[in-house]
Amino acid sequence: MIWIAISVFLIGTFLGFINRKASYITAFLASLLSFIAGFEAKFNGSVYLAKFHFLLSSYVGINIDELSGLFIMIASLSWMAVAIFSIDFGSNYRKRMAIFLNLSMLGMLLILTAYDGITFLTGWEIMTIFSYLLITEHSGAYKESFQFLAFSELSTLALILAFIGLYSSNNSLSLANTGSKSIIFLVFASLAFIIKMGIVPFHTWLKEAHSKAPSNASALLSAPVTLMGVYGLARIISITGYTHIWGVAAVVLGSVSAFWGAMEAAAAKELKVLPAYSTVENNGMILAALGLSSLAYSFSPASTLYEFAFLSAVILSITHTIAKTLLFLSIGQAKEQLHEESIDDMRGIHKSVGKIPALGIVISGLSFSAFPTLIGYVAEWMLLESIFQSYQFHSVLDRVVSSTGGVLLSLAMGFASFSMIKLIGYSALGYNHEKKAKPMPTFFMRTAELFLMILILGFSFFASYIFMGLGYSKFVIGALGVPKGWLLASAKPVFGVISPAFFVIVMLGLFLIPFIVYLSSKKNTKKVISWNGGLNLKEEEYFSANAFSFIIEYILRFIYLTKEVTTNNEAYVVISDVFEKFYVRMVKMSEKAGYNISRFVMNGKVYFYVLYILTVFIMIFIIFGSAST
Amino acid sequence: MKPWAIYGITKKLTENFKKTKKDVKSISGVFKSSLHIFPIDVGNDNELNFEMEALASPQYNIHRFGIFFTDSPRHADILLILGKVSENMKEPLAETIAQLPEPFGIIIIEDKNDTKTGAKNLNLPNVVGYFDKKLEAKEILSVLLNVMGREV
Amino acid sequence: MRLLGILNKNDTEEFLVENEGKIFIDKSPNNKFDNYELIKNRDKFIGNSEKKGKGVFNFRYGPVSAGVGQAGVFNIKTYGERILSVSIDPSYKKRNIEQLMINKTPKDALRLAESVCGNFAFSHSLAFSRAIENIYGLDTDENTKRIRVIALELERIYNHIYVITRLSKGAAQNVLTSHLEWLFEESLRTNKLFSSERFLKNFNSIGAVNFSNSNNIDTIKERIKILEEKFGELYQHSLKSWNFIDRIYKTASLTSKQAISIGLTGPSLRATGIGDDLRKNEDIYENFKAIIRTTGDALARMEVRAYEILHSCDIILTQLDKLQDETLKHHKKEQKNGAGVGYCESPSGIVAYYVELKNNLVDYVYISTPSVFGYKAFADSFVGYIFTDFSFALDSFGINFADCAR
Repeated sequence: MIWIAISVFLIGTFLGFINRKASYITAFLASLLSFIAGFEAKFNGSVYLAKFHFLLSSYVGINIDELSGLFIMIASLSWMAVAIFSIDFGSNYRKRMAIFLNLSMLGMLLILTAYDGITFLTGWEIMTIFSYLLITEHSGAYKESFQFLAFSELSTLALILAFIGLYSSNNSLSLANTGSKSIIFLVFASLAFIIKMGIVPFHTWLKEAHSKAPSNASALLSAPVTLMGVYGLARIISITGYTHIWGVAAVVLGSVSAFWGAMEAAAAKELKVLPAYSTVENNGMILAALGLSSLAYSFSPASTLYEFAFLSAVILSITHTIAKTLLFLSIGQAKEQLHEESIDDMRGIHKSVGKIPALGIVISGLSFSAFPTLIGYVAEWMLLESIFQSYQFHSVLDRVVSSTGGVLLSLAMGFASFSMIKLIGYSALGYNHEKKAKPMPTFFMRTAELFLMILILGFSFFASYIFMGLGYSKFVIGALGVPKGWLLASAKPVFGVISPAFFVIVMLGLFLIPFIVYLSSKKNTKKVISWNGGLNLKEEEYFSANAFSFIIEYILRFIYLTKEVTTNNEAYVVISDVFEKFYVRMVKMSEKAGYNISRFVMNGKVYFYVLYILTVFIMIFIIFGSAST
Repeated sequence: MKPWAIYGITKKLTENFKKTKKDVKSISGVFKSSLHIFPIDVGNDNELNFEMEALASPQYNIHRFGIFFTDSPRHADILLILGKVSENMKEPLAETIAQLPEPFGIIIIEDKNDTKTGAKNLNLPNVVGYFDKKLEAKEILSVLLNVMGREV
Repeated sequence: MRLLGILNKNDTEEFLVENEGKIFIDKSPNNKFDNYELIKNRDKFIGNSEKKGKGVFNFRYGPVSAGVGQAGVFNIKTYGERILSVSIDPSYKKRNIEQLMINKTPKDALRLAESVCGNFAFSHSLAFSRAIENIYGLDTDENTKRIRVIALELERIYNHIYVITRLSKGAAQNVLTSHLEWLFEESLRTNKLFSSERFLKNFNSIGAVNFSNSNNIDTIKERIKILEEKFGELYQHSLKSWNFIDRIYKTASLTSKQAISIGLTGPSLRATGIGDDLRKNEDIYENFKAIIRTTGDALARMEVRAYEILHSCDIILTQLDKLQDETLKHHKKEQKNGAGVGYCESPSGIVAYYVELKNNLVDYVYISTPSVFGYKAFADSFVGYIFTDFSFALDSFGINFADCAR
């Protein structure tokens, strides 16, 4: 099955040279096949392994176990939607976009099915290079795509080092059914994956690349590509087991990242920067959940907390992948049809572009702001429940770390709601701009959006079935009048419970049905414009999105480095991401240093050059020789 | 020093009020014990605005009759049109009336010597009272009590 | 030298200027005036140069809003909270009173002058009648002067109380507000006892006043004394309420330099440390000393007004004591043609009229009102503050659209 999927992706690549629509359809089929393969592996136990002898004692090959099956399923849902979406969307771009899309999906599939480090790296590079090319499809995105490439190569470099570490401890590059305690592997592999996930301080590429890339590429980059990072971390845990200090670092980095991402998202004014920062936030939460799972395991493997925390990382990944794909696709459609960049200029998508993209933004946005009844709510509840349960920890360090992390994560969730309200309220539901959408075929775009919306709603309602399907039936109970199988519990013995399905029923009963009955009943209603001092609002009188977020930019001016600039007839607010400033400075410094070093080294004397190469060589030997022993 | 709370209760400032008969129509029986009013300045010389301010003073204590000022026409039962309508205020006035919830009433108080358009000539709906000379605060209160149909 | 108005007659510009308490027409002044453009455009917009930028939008306040309370529009440019520029549109209140006065007899025009602004009715009436009296060459007798002083100070009292009430209401000082509202209504009733009208209308006439309430004088004295005592006590009490003072302290500050460049007059000018007051030059006031504060913020403006209330009470009591029972005489030396300037210190600054008569009918009028300069001062001082300061910034200037738009 997996071979078929790979070959269909390859066929899609070749079709890209002939007909882009056919190529996108093929990509969809390949994604569907991948999904089936993943499903088979996860639920029917059809673990697949094919390995070939490579060099020395290492093997290369394809391997699908339960873990890869799960992530293939999650990722392929996003691929399917992106592929369908691209059938319409791609018509505005060049043919080669279809080729890049097929290949980057293939790269991801290789990562997820890699038996060994070599295959993994191959997939990693294929994904990176073709994602890079996808970004460059947007005219004028060279700087951003290059930044993406730089960070990706940094993570590749870290991966190579990690695999060197793995090889020196195991004498094999196998990633499946293996164990290793190599510190080098743990450190560098984790580094590689958190760079890919866009964890602070490695998040700046994400914002730049996502906002510049074509929207289908943004969806791909933001959801499945960062999911590869999550898969990588999960794979590390399966290899090295839970490490206490790794958990501490993950909770710290994850919660800081979640806070930072959410905070920057709250101040974002560009339509695609906001979801990009939201990705930083969500990946931060996933990392924190994994870290917490690690802490809990080292506290007591008998407690259900570590399993619950791991499950919450999985649910967060599912939520993020699906909802972020939906968000980028919906925004992408609107952006493509309106040709606007900022949240302010995109007001009233529900009128100008259509109900479905607007609804897509609303549903995904609500999911990210943890609106009860939606899967995002379940995910964030799980994360907070895991944090609450950390009161059991014995170690003071663990308690401090988890509670501080909890504070940051809760703040992040608050900021996330703030930013999502801005996104929903302005772009999707805001006052109409009277802008005309550019006519283009939208059937497949809307199909992709509807598909993802149904997924989110379905996953929300049947969250308990997902729990059971993932093999965690112990967290599904029945109590408080909720029948067995519909109530989610956060621990065994029971600590906290929710039931999204019951939320839906209660919401319908108390809210929607009375509302619909009210709307359909005969009534004497006066319809007037909103009250604005007796005059209709003019275009320049609408409360701007910048104004909406200025209040937090002002209160947190020490973090945002808010500057209010006023010149003769202009006034605006400048905020900046400290880390971005740092990188800009670093780039400048390295430019300068590079110039000086090259002048020093490449001075035309051969013996000097040879000496330089030798020194570097010896240094590498010393560093890795000492680490592997 | 006395705190404001104690300062406030040392003397009774409210006066007894004698309602006088005013020529107004009633809107509906529902306003007997509560009436929310929204005054709109359509171009008067500020005297009536000051009278509205005086109406809020403790001497009249209009809250005891259930009369309250609102900050938006959407919450008002009575729109008090103060003055004759200047050219630029015609549109805002029409919009304000459109925003009033049913049932509502309009009371016009203007100075007949003023030269602008009288609100009376604008064919406004539900005009329950019309006065062609400026009223003092106590007269305005009588008008409102008459509209409510309330005995004091 | 202060520019109060620009007269446009037959395509030539003449300037209504004030210098050391005297107001006159200057056909070719030596100075350039900073407020030339302001006065030139006073019917179109008053404010400062518009700011543009990313996320900057126009927050329109008015024309129908409880916060403004009058027919007028504030166009406030902001990117959220911070006020970047303010532009005020007074056209919603425009009644063209200057045009309406043309070809009216001075007596009819006087009624129109009173209807420029109901709460400055007496100031306008006095300034207009003084202009006519100047043309006629009429000299009013001592008693009329005293009665006019009393009426003017009564007007000052209720207006100042109104301003402080608005400030206290804005800071949600409900007990203080109720007491001040009580005083406000009481002072309106005192006005009625004195002039038969709550807003001192139909009281003043050319060369005389229609004073017919001399039997009320004792009651009025009594009421003024109560008012002075009560207000003094309330005011001292209010200064101890920190959450009130915090809202107005350092709010909408104006420097004396700004105030002079705008051409501001009245209590708002005196709050910046400049002791200009037309009453200083009138002998009838006897050793008048202007009340000044130096900080120029909303608190300083309130302090000046508060002390002016107490001061006005003293002036009224002194003048009431000196009032004679004799009937008031008209000294008619009527002259049918000519031009004249009349002015007085209204509660919020200088009101000045320039009137030309032809065959005893008004041929040309120019009205200079304090609110024009007040709105400009508000707009300039409000920039950089946040919208929550709006009511304190605006109300502390004691200005209104009726006075501004005429």
